[in-house]
Amino acid sequence: MNSAVFNHGRLLLWGGFLALAFALPLVFKSGFLVSLLCQIGIMVVFALSYNMLLGQTGLLSFGHAVYYGIGAFVTMHMLNIIGKDGGPLTTALLPLVGGLAGMLAGVVLGYVTTKKAGTTFAMISLGIGELVAACALMFPGFFGGEGGVSGNRVVGKGNLLGFTWGPQVEMYGLIVLWAFLATVAMFALTQTPLGRMANAVRDNPERAEFVGYDTQRVRYLMLILSGLFAGIAGSLTALNYEIVTSETLNAHTSGVVLLMTFVGGIGFFYGPIIGAILISVMQIVIGGMTHAWLLYFGLFFLFMVLMAPGGIASVIAIQRNLWLAGLFGRMVPHYLAVALPVLILLAGLVGLIEMSYALLAGEGVGAGDTATKVMKMELHLNTPGPWLAALGVTAAGLVLTRWIGGRTRAAWNSALATLHGDKS
Amino acid sequence: MSSPAIRITGLKKNFGASEIIRGVDLDIHRGERHAIIGPNGAGKSTLFHLISARLPVSAGVIELKGENVVGLKPFEINRKGLSRSFQITNIFHNLSVFENLRCAVLWSLGYRYSFWQRLAGLADARLRAEAVMEDIGLAKRRDTPAGILSYAEQRALEIGITIASGADVILLDEPTAGMSRSETDDAVALIRRVTEGKTLVMVEHDMGVVFGLADRISVLVYGQIIATDAPAAIRCNAAVQEAYLGTSLNHD
Repeated sequence: MNSAVFNHGRLLLWGGFLALAFALPLVFKSGFLVSLLCQIGIMVVFALSYNMLLGQTGLLSFGHAVYYGIGAFVTMHMLNIIGKDGGPLTTALLPLVGGLAGMLAGVVLGYVTTKKAGTTFAMISLGIGELVAACALMFPGFFGGEGGVSGNRVVGKGNLLGFTWGPQVEMYGLIVLWAFLATVAMFALTQTPLGRMANAVRDNPERAEFVGYDTQRVRYLMLILSGLFAGIAGSLTALNYEIVTSETLNAHTSGVVLLMTFVGGIGFFYGPIIGAILISVMQIVIGGMTHAWLLYFGLFFLFMVLMAPGGIASVIAIQRNLWLAGLFGRMVPHYLAVALPVLILLAGLVGLIEMSYALLAGEGVGAGDTATKVMKMELHLNTPGPWLAALGVTAAGLVLTRWIGGRTRAAWNSALATLHGDKS
Repeated sequence: MSSPAIRITGLKKNFGASEIIRGVDLDIHRGERHAIIGPNGAGKSTLFHLISARLPVSAGVIELKGENVVGLKPFEINRKGLSRSFQITNIFHNLSVFENLRCAVLWSLGYRYSFWQRLAGLADARLRAEAVMEDIGLAKRRDTPAGILSYAEQRALEIGITIASGADVILLDEPTAGMSRSETDDAVALIRRVTEGKTLVMVEHDMGVVFGLADRISVLVYGQIIATDAPAAIRCNAAVQEAYLGTSLNHD
């Protein structure tokens, strides 16, 4: 087994991803899609940095946005300084500055938070997160108050290769470059003594102490390095949007990165990448379709925690194992069979949620026979018709899902049994 | 070579009002295999926890190779060459057998908290981990996550992690607990092999193991050592028989 960071297969894989990332704007030319890609690139780095704590060191943080936000604010101030006075730095190098700021924040705050692991760490990280978020509103000089701090990323004169980073596509190129470097570095870290001992500390801190390691030091170092990469992500977000508000470092942002990482799968290096892509797309696509998107988010998170606690990456890993054992083929008809009732159930639920939301949020529900627009349909919410229809669809979906889902589950269990039987 | 491997003087430990270790004095010579026996609740595991700094000492002195180690942290004592196993298996469950052992050798090889070196490039760590893996008979399970090994395999891995760093003072807490007869025989052979030339202190209930392995035996009763002697002498010691062992010494 060759576990070098850059063996040929891996080199090809990394190179392929880089080429793909750079090629994407050639296919997705619209401004909307390029913006979405930018957001994804930033979130990939942020989620991966979060998983250095959660997945690799076993530290559940509720305040990771602090390092991201500090990286973003420092970058924005640096941008404004070089915009005014010039200086040796250019826009393209600012993520390094943001990263160092995040790292420094890690050195200071991490010293307190990583004294303990487990619940204590989670609680302190929450406290520190709230503290910094409160500071953001108390010190408008640095954090810009409610309006935040804004700037212009087109600064300086000596821009590399003639790039001004002004057009969104150029910014995307810069994000891809930094995201790629950060991802490679974070992966490489998992293959070092510190990276492996972080896993050991996660699994069994007591044993780690009895093989000579100071677990507190391991946690502290991992948090500092995680702060570095969170700071780079924050820096990229500052450059990308050219505005940073206190929202960048508050609990909501910390929650979103936790959600992305968990949904993607904390047990695999690539898990957070999947989560960052999926959640970013959902945020923008579903967020554009309905005001109730946070509700869908919550339901989706709940579903994942209950049904696939290992995240999407673990589901993929199991499918891969089934595939390697030649069992995937026999599962495909079951997957397809269960997809239809699940879609029916979802349609019914979405209908109910959207109609309730329209009714409760009072979006133009008039008296009498006035129609309300729900998901581009004219519905009369004060008549029982639409409600009965949605309820009927939901009920039908539920019954069918239970019925066919039971068979799928049985097939799934038997496939897994065969898989594990083959192994041992 | 004058100072003993471990010298314990006037050691006490109390949990609130109850005194568990009530003044223990004990010298463990370098290179000997020393067993600590005693009835349940005598404080054997507590004594181990005190020596390895898992629990803080209430009073007394513990010297490791002539150096007072009271107040040090577990990892500091480990770095001074004392390594221990646990009564309840204490391994890295999600890591493979190989990774478990490699984690156990990293510090002693000087890699500390390095994040600038590739693990795959550290040939000495790999070779040492592989040698231990061979020693404990788990070479075939190299890439198996430790959490899904059989109980006896986990116990072997536990011993492997304990000895991998090359520590010269080894503490084993009930290494054969819960094993079948044949598994116990294998474990005894393993312990004998891997602690060759080292100082071994073990807590053990299985008298067959104790009398088969130990050069000297200490009997701990209610937090005090009532006798320390060679196995044959312990067998005939009236106080020991009276206080604890009764007739069971001649069996097992």
